[in-house]
Amino acid sequence: MFRNINIWFISSFIISFIVAIPIITVFSSFFENTTNYFEILKNTFLVEYIFNSFVLLFGVLFLTFIIGTGCAYLVSFYNFPGVNFFKWALILSFAVPPYIYAYSLTAFFENYGTAFTILKNLFGDGEYNKSIPKFDGTIGAIISLSFSLFSYVYILARASFFYQSQNLIDLGKNLGFSKLRSIFSIIIPSARPAIVAGLSLVAMETLSDFGAVSFFGINTLTTGIYNAWAGFDDLAFANQLSFYLLIFILVLFTLENYSRKKAKYHSPTKGGFKQKEKIKLSKYHSFFAFFICFFVFFISFIFPLSQMLYWTIIFPKNFFDLNIYNLLINTIYLVTLSSVILIIFSFISNYGNRVSRSKFLNALTTFSISGYAIPGVILAVAFITFISWFNNTVVEYFEFKSIKKIFIGSILGLVLVYFIRFYSLACNGIKSGYEKINRSIDESAYLIGYSKLKTFLYIHVPYLRNSVLLIGMLISIEIIRELPITLILRPFNFETFATTAYIYASQDLLEAAAVPSLFLILIASFFILLTSKYILRDDSE
Amino acid sequence: MTVNKNFLEIKNVNFKIEGNNKVNNVSFSIEKEGDIICLLGPSGIGKTTILRSIAGLEKIGSGTIKLKGKTISSNKINIEPEDRNISLSFQENSLFPHYTVEKNIHLATERKNLNKKKKLNLKKIIKLLNIGKILDKYPHQISAGEGQRASLARSLASHPDLLLLDEPLSNVDQSFKEEIQVQLKKILKNLKITTIIVTHDSYEAFYLGNKCGIILNKQLKQFDDPYNVYHFPNSVEVVNFLNRGILIPAKVTGENSLKNNDLGTIKGNFIKHYPKGSDVKLLLQPEDLEHDDQSNLKLEVVDRKFRGTNFIYTLKTNSNLLIPVFVHSHHIHQHEIDEKFGIKRPINIDHIVCF
Repeated sequence: MFRNINIWFISSFIISFIVAIPIITVFSSFFENTTNYFEILKNTFLVEYIFNSFVLLFGVLFLTFIIGTGCAYLVSFYNFPGVNFFKWALILSFAVPPYIYAYSLTAFFENYGTAFTILKNLFGDGEYNKSIPKFDGTIGAIISLSFSLFSYVYILARASFFYQSQNLIDLGKNLGFSKLRSIFSIIIPSARPAIVAGLSLVAMETLSDFGAVSFFGINTLTTGIYNAWAGFDDLAFANQLSFYLLIFILVLFTLENYSRKKAKYHSPTKGGFKQKEKIKLSKYHSFFAFFICFFVFFISFIFPLSQMLYWTIIFPKNFFDLNIYNLLINTIYLVTLSSVILIIFSFISNYGNRVSRSKFLNALTTFSISGYAIPGVILAVAFITFISWFNNTVVEYFEFKSIKKIFIGSILGLVLVYFIRFYSLACNGIKSGYEKINRSIDESAYLIGYSKLKTFLYIHVPYLRNSVLLIGMLISIEIIRELPITLILRPFNFETFATTAYIYASQDLLEAAAVPSLFLILIASFFILLTSKYILRDDSE
Repeated sequence: MTVNKNFLEIKNVNFKIEGNNKVNNVSFSIEKEGDIICLLGPSGIGKTTILRSIAGLEKIGSGTIKLKGKTISSNKINIEPEDRNISLSFQENSLFPHYTVEKNIHLATERKNLNKKKKLNLKKIIKLLNIGKILDKYPHQISAGEGQRASLARSLASHPDLLLLDEPLSNVDQSFKEEIQVQLKKILKNLKITTIIVTHDSYEAFYLGNKCGIILNKQLKQFDDPYNVYHFPNSVEVVNFLNRGILIPAKVTGENSLKNNDLGTIKGNFIKHYPKGSDVKLLLQPEDLEHDDQSNLKLEVVDRKFRGTNFIYTLKTNSNLLIPVFVHSHHIHQHEIDEKFGIKRPINIDHIVCF
């Protein structure tokens, strides 16, 4: 046991410890006394928070299931004009975070908004405001979240449909099933683990969403946590709310893990896989399929993009007021720093696991990737709680200088919490790359005289170069979109596109929020296009 | 104290992998540099574990392994694989996937302390292994057999003190195999590379090895010259593993003779002394019996296999023993199944092996 204590062990232990901080903090704070706010809030607001979270959750799950599975089904089984375009265009909605979608939705439908202007230009002056539907409150949040998050379901369902063998479909025909019966008794059930996995991700994102929900002024557990911290400065209450939210997430996390394990059985086998022949649709039907896909693509991506573009054009002053260069530098700085740190630690941890083959080390790694399930708001608030506690007890006891300034409102603290949030993304990415390298490759290297370090530098690193680039890009997409952690932990006067957009929007200056939102969508789209092949899991196509 | 001159010495070693003992209490040594040792045994018996342990990829349970008089593995000492100058060529393709075959081979020559004279052998190795045409290719573009030859070239290129080959020719086409075996032996002898080869092909082992080790039932059963292993197997297990003869019951009748109820008197020189009258099991190999149509000892043919250079007849005795007999395939007349087949008497065997 003690023979195994080495650099790999220590670094894995440190990573696990950092990831454990928020979880331990939330659980230990649950039993602490809070200020009076909690007593008052507990009975009134808590029920409302939980109720709202539930309504939101079920609304979003329902919509994303319909949109995600429906589109995945169309592009996987049928041939119609534009199918190859829609296949990847539908994942572009990933570039539009729910809060930016919410801004677009409001901007378009609000009184004297874009819809009003269009109608006025078409039909002249009139009382259109009353007849234009208003998407705000819970409905608005559900729509924003659904059109932004459906791609999780779409991507996983499509991958599962893609690997469904023609044999399976032939079997249905053989049994004399009608097309509809085939869909509901063969195609969807066999893709169920993938769809459930996608829906679990949607559920986690919905529960942890902060931007869109707070913009529409809905009180959920997540906004409650933020308000307890920002409004009442009551960390203990924030952590207590986090506890309830974590319980939800834990259930989802277990569900997702469980279904993902099952999904493994649906991977293609070497022998029996037969590429599907797509069904060519008749003119009328193919127009219908085209229309559905185009509608989803338009609503989820073109609509928010053009709304933001439109406002940027008609309010050019905002464009020149904003220090785009500064925001860009800040974003690049954060993305690069975080990616490099994440990738380096993922390498160390994965290589350590490979070299030591210790089960304990493996368990530590598994634990340390659980950070992705914890909402950013909780991570940030728990991190602040922990640092304050540590400062007030340990540091003051030894009469050292306060460490608060080092960790809170600093790049270091921000990157540290990003680390917890996105470590699983980096670690799993490197891991799947490593799984492709046979262990005898390492051993061959040792045997021709390469040290462990030299093997790592000259054999592993060059081989995993593509995986690393890909992970870097995926981390970039996530960090560019990320809002609550950045908002809570960023240094004074340090803004990103996401925080700038949020701050303008929360001051009811949606026109000004358009410029950073537009840039955010464009940069994220760029990265998505670069990685689309991997995201779609189309290696074999 | 005598100075130990063995090149490689393995003493009372328990080989284990992931906590499971694979082969226990193994002792053997390679006396001179440049010798070739072949380890034979059924699959899963732990031959690969032995190679991996000698290479330093696995720790040993007990005992010592010494190379050139220096302990490389023991309870306390475990020199890292990269510091042993022992090369192992894996059974599966272990070429670095992102480098060409040529680069793969060249990486091995970058080893420290490798003198230039030895480097010159590279061209010769490439030519002998016939891999000149695939040097520019990447590992995924070549066949399994080419992959094995390329990784063999890489192992040779590092000019190790000790070369370990794990089933080096298992993926090489049968037609090409003998040619490669000849070349391999030539290269190893030319370069004077001490080698341990693991194989399950006994002919390969007999051809390549100066010594052969037979591993059965977690033990090194026999370690001897190929000739001795074949002709003087030291246990029933080795006979069964080599599958080259059968054991028939017999009674020792004198200094040079035994008697079997079906075959009658058998004469020859005993390898080991047995007192007169003792019941033994006699090893009867296919080439021990001769065909003779005139003989009065006639047995029933139950099977006939054509093996190119010879036929193997399986004959049934009165007490239902099944005996294999080689007959040269130029032999004019053939005996069909159910016909009678004469055996020349008296039966003479050069050396009698009994258990």
